[in-house]
Parts: sequence; structure tokens; C-alpha cells
Amino acid sequence: MKLENRLTVKGVLFAAVTGVVWSATASADVTHESILKADPANWPTYHGSFKSWHYSALDQINSKNVKGLKEAWSHMPSRATRGLQSFPLAADGVLYYTSAYNQLYALDGATGAVLWIYKQKLDEDLVAKQTHSPYNRGVALGNGNVYMGTLDGKLVAVDMKTGKLNWETKLVDSKKLTVGFTGAPLFVKDKVIIGAQGGEWPGRGPIFGVEAKSGQLVWTFNTSGGNEGTPSDRRDTWGGDSWKTGGGGGWMAGAYDPETDTVWWGTANPAPLYDWAGPEWQTKGPRPGTNLYTTAVILLNPDTGELKNYHQELPHDAWDFDSSMGEFVFLERDGKKYVVHPNKGGHVFVYDRGGKVQNVYAGVDNINFVKGVDPKTGELIGRRDMVEGKHTNLCPAIAGGYSWNAGTYNPKTGLYYRVGYEWCMDLEIVKTTPVLEPMAQLNIGANFTMHGPGSDKAWGHVRARDPITGKVKWAMDFKNGIPHGSLLSTGGNLLFIPEADGHLSAVDASTGKVLWRHNNGNLHDGGIITYMAKGKQYVAVEVGKGSLVTDGYGDLWGEPYSSMPTDGGILKVFALD
Amino acid sequence: MKLSVFRPILCLAALLFFAAIPVSPAADEKAPVAAAGASDFNAKNTFRNICSFCHEDYGRKAGKGPQLMNNTNSDEYLFNRIKNGKAGRMAAFGGAFTDDQIRDMVKFIRSLRPDQEP
Repeated sequence: MKLENRLTVKGVLFAAVTGVVWSATASADVTHESILKADPANWPTYHGSFKSWHYSALDQINSKNVKGLKEAWSHMPSRATRGLQSFPLAADGVLYYTSAYNQLYALDGATGAVLWIYKQKLDEDLVAKQTHSPYNRGVALGNGNVYMGTLDGKLVAVDMKTGKLNWETKLVDSKKLTVGFTGAPLFVKDKVIIGAQGGEWPGRGPIFGVEAKSGQLVWTFNTSGGNEGTPSDRRDTWGGDSWKTGGGGGWMAGAYDPETDTVWWGTANPAPLYDWAGPEWQTKGPRPGTNLYTTAVILLNPDTGELKNYHQELPHDAWDFDSSMGEFVFLERDGKKYVVHPNKGGHVFVYDRGGKVQNVYAGVDNINFVKGVDPKTGELIGRRDMVEGKHTNLCPAIAGGYSWNAGTYNPKTGLYYRVGYEWCMDLEIVKTTPVLEPMAQLNIGANFTMHGPGSDKAWGHVRARDPITGKVKWAMDFKNGIPHGSLLSTGGNLLFIPEADGHLSAVDASTGKVLWRHNNGNLHDGGIITYMAKGKQYVAVEVGKGSLVTDGYGDLWGEPYSSMPTDGGILKVFALD
Repeated sequence: MKLSVFRPILCLAALLFFAAIPVSPAADEKAPVAAAGASDFNAKNTFRNICSFCHEDYGRKAGKGPQLMNNTNSDEYLFNRIKNGKAGRMAAFGGAFTDDQIRDMVKFIRSLRPDQEP
């Protein structure tokens, strides 16, 4: 009997009892130090490394030989409802990834053989009541565990070697708040840090620091108003009790700066999304004030959760352009150290390592929610604050100028690559009352219709630019469906673009010239990585449509998006012969 | 340089430098809070607060979800879809709203017309 078959038989028997498929195959541990070491053979954390580059120095596959890239193996998960939106990780030749309903897989990185499967026992009745569900966006590795946030509000630690549950900790009362966790955690030192869903849900948007070894909750930071009794307490930036239902949260994994021992996290928008106060938002409306710390970049002590500093990218965000994009690109230029962070509104904020704005530039063409952002201070210029009633041509549309799919920085080309979205919408701002009982419900505050800018259809682009100045070196436009998978660049002078129409493209990272394309058969809504297994370089990409952004593609562009399934997905892995 | 060494200075700097807009929030606009079972349930308000996230223009147009105006399915079908949802496509709102409230939502959907405001 072949090894794979033997494992499968054993797995079925074992799964009947525990829900876990097991094998004796093991991988070496991932530690804080090994993540710092940034061995390009591995992809041990959501953003590739603590630098958030989504880049690998691997160059076995390169611009000269990529035309020979072929499918090596694939894996089809069960219950891929809303496609695949997670992000694979790899360590010592083992690939880990998740599908919907918090199902976690460990696969042999060279063959795809299943090493173990972990299926979280969920409160399925609760999950059925969630609108932003049942997808999972990724996991963290460290201290011998795979860490995963669950839809019903838990953080779980699954043994990397055996797939057995080591601990689980309930962090969010999802029966009350409806939402739980969909984003990936971040493993830093001896802590696991994870942000709850928030935004348009009337809660306080907590971010948690949990002891990696035991699962004990160490700290909580409330992004809606900060923590009472500490210097972070800024409930005074919320009128009345609106901080209690302020939203916020941090639904994508942040980053870590080892030089300053600081966690950087992007926070989500306040609730309701849209605000009828208009220009009088400082004193009127449902949430008067700047609404700290929503739509902000916050700098936290990873050990204590203490707020070190912050910059609110959009004070009193009235447009759902949150700062949740988790990538904080740490880089140096001419002896100066920077952090580059995209905001959903389509601007890119450049900070120093202390959180002070160094530059701000627009990454997309169609922005009119503000006339501009002061590049020296980050202050918004010419806000478009809307009163109750109808408004036309707000740009970008609710889905953002940038979305949560990650960009990539390539230190060899010195370029930062990101997908940008050119779309707008008409909307009617309405007065709302948050529904909190018996379960919290979405608190939108508007009725809207998305469309393209001007008389154009919605379109988008991948732009390769100087990350500090924003100067574009080359661009690739997409007129019939905008990519929504994350990007990957490599030391082989390659940029991989998982496109919306199903193609995975490899382009010359220096010029944008297309070198290789392969049709994966469905839209890409998830992550892409490269890693080494048994001395060979692989590229792994998630395939499967179903995010809340791409759900609207059929209405915007028709086919092939209208008929693409949203209840299936597959992990595809490529290598040279 | 470790930020923690300068934490008090940074915190002060943050308050002075980053709090870009001074705020004097008024307490007279305390956000009202409702239970779904409140007697003043209004289908239109509920629709644009929750359903409009996926069904654009009050459901007169498709979006993330399908167009609801002129939907050919039966009232019972719509009722059950709102109450029980469909995995991965639509949340179940049976736990949030009563049957009568869901029936009001179905009536609202049936009232949608292309040439008049709902």
C-alpha cells in the first residue's frame, strides 16, 4: 500500500472519532527568531516576513525559465463556501492553509499529500446568521502551533505536527455581536495577536494579545475609544455613548517592527458606515467626533497592548475607507527608515518608524471623498461630508480604491506593486438606529449603487511604483474584472498576478512584460506564496470566487463572473519540470 | 532606539500632533439603540440599514446579491430565504427578526417599482 493511501485510511478512521486526520510527518518549529531570520525557503507568517514585503528571494523560478512553469499538484478542500480567501503558509516543506468554516490543512509541500486535517467544531447556527462569513483569511505559525481565529469568536492553537487541538480561548461573544474572527493572527515573540471583525457592527472592535503557549488572554485593546483608565482612553472623541457601538476592529493581520519592538495594526471603520451629520460631524450625527481609534494605524507594545502611538488616517471616517489593510512595508531609503501603508480610500501613507507621516500619495485616479491629503501632515483637505439624502458619484465606491488583497515590495527592483480599483457609486445617506438585540446587525447607514467612473465601466490596474514617492514606473490595466488576489514578487525578477478571470500571470517585475499565463478556471480571491520543498521551488495560489468585493463582479462586468461558482475552491501549486 | 524609552514623550506628542481635529462632541445626539423586536419596526429602514449592503438601490438592482424587484419566487420562498438564509450566500435573519417583521420585509420587496421611490 502506498504511503498516501495508508494515511488516508488511517485518517478516515481517526476522523470519525476526532475530526482530525493524522500522520507522523512533522515539520520543524517556527519561532520568533526563525521568522526574524526570514529564510526564503519558508513563508512562516501572513505577510511573508515581519517586513510585510510579500516577497521571496527564491530565484530557482525566474524570468528566464518561467515559461516552463507547470502545475505540480493541487488540493481541493471541502466546504469552500465563498471560494478560498485565506493565505497559505509554508515551513520546512509543509504547506498549511485554511478553507471556509475554519477547516485547516497540512500538506506535503512537494506532493500535496495530506498530512492532517483539522476541522473546528463551530456553532453552525450562529455562523448561518453571519453576513461576513464563513470564510477564513489565514493562520499564524509559532511555538509548535498553527493559530486560527474562528467564526464564532475563538482563537485556537492546533499542533503543527499532529493536527490536534492544543488549546482554544473564547475571546468574543459572537452570539451577541454576531461577528467573530475571519482574519489571520500574527505571532510575535510569545504572543498571538488577533483583531476581531468590527467596522459596520456596533461593538468596540477589540484586538487581543494571547499567550502563545497557554492560550491565556493577556491584553485587549478597544479600537473604539481605547481602554478606560489608561492614556489610550479617548472616548471623548465619540459623542455621548456612541463609543459603545463604534465599530472599529482590525480584521487583517498587522505587522511587527523588531527594531522598536512595536506591533503595527490597521483598524477598521466606525459604525454606521455612512453618517448623516455632513459637515457638522464634529458635533452632530450618530457618532460626533473624530472617533478614535477607528480607521487608524495604531502602534502597540506586543507584550502589554499599550498604545505607543497612532495616526488616524481618516478622522471621522464617513466613507467606509478603513485602514485595515494589514501590510506595513518596512524599508530603508538613503539611510532613512520608512513604513508604507495603503488605506482603503486609495491613498498610500508613508510613515517613519515612530508613526509620523512622511508622505501621502494617491494610488488610484478616481478619488473625490477628499480633495487631497497633506503629504507633510496627513491632514485631509476638502472633505466630502454628506448629509442625509441622495448623493452621486462618490469615488472610490464602498469596495475601496485599495482592497484587502496584499501588494508586494521587491527590494531588487525597488518597486511596490499593488492592485488599484477605479469605481464610484451613487448613494442615499439615511438615518439609522443600530440593532443590538437579540444579535447585533449591520449598521450601514446608506443605500447605494456602484458604477464605473464617469461614463466608463469600472476598471483597475496593477501599478509598479516607487513606494516612497509614488512615482509609477509601469502599469497594467484591467478593463473586464480587476484582480482581487494578493500579489507575489520574487528574487527571480517575477511578479505573480492572480487575475480575476482565472488566469495566473507571471510578469517581468522590472518591466511588466507578461512572461507566462495559466488559466486556473475561477477567480482568485486569496493568497499566493512561494517556498522550497525537497530542494525545489513551488508557487502556491488559492483559487475560488466569493469575497464581498468580487460578489459584485457579475453585476459590473457580466460574464465570466456571473456564472462563476462561489461554492468551490482549489489550491494550485506550480513548479518547473 | 526603542520607542518604549520615549513613550511618555510620544504619547504627549501623539495627543498634540496626531489628534488632527479638536472635538467637542455633543451628548445630545446620543446614539439610539434598538432591539429588533421593537414595535416601530420599519421594513424600509431595516432594508437600507442591513440588506442594502448586498442588494443595491433597495433591491431594485443587483449588487453582491441578486436583484429583488420583480423577483419571480413566491412570497413563501422569500420569507424562508430571509429567515433561514443560504449558506455562503445570505445570512439567516430568523434570529434577529420576528416572522411578522420578515413578512413586512417581503411586502416591502413586493412594493418595489423601477420608476418610483420605495
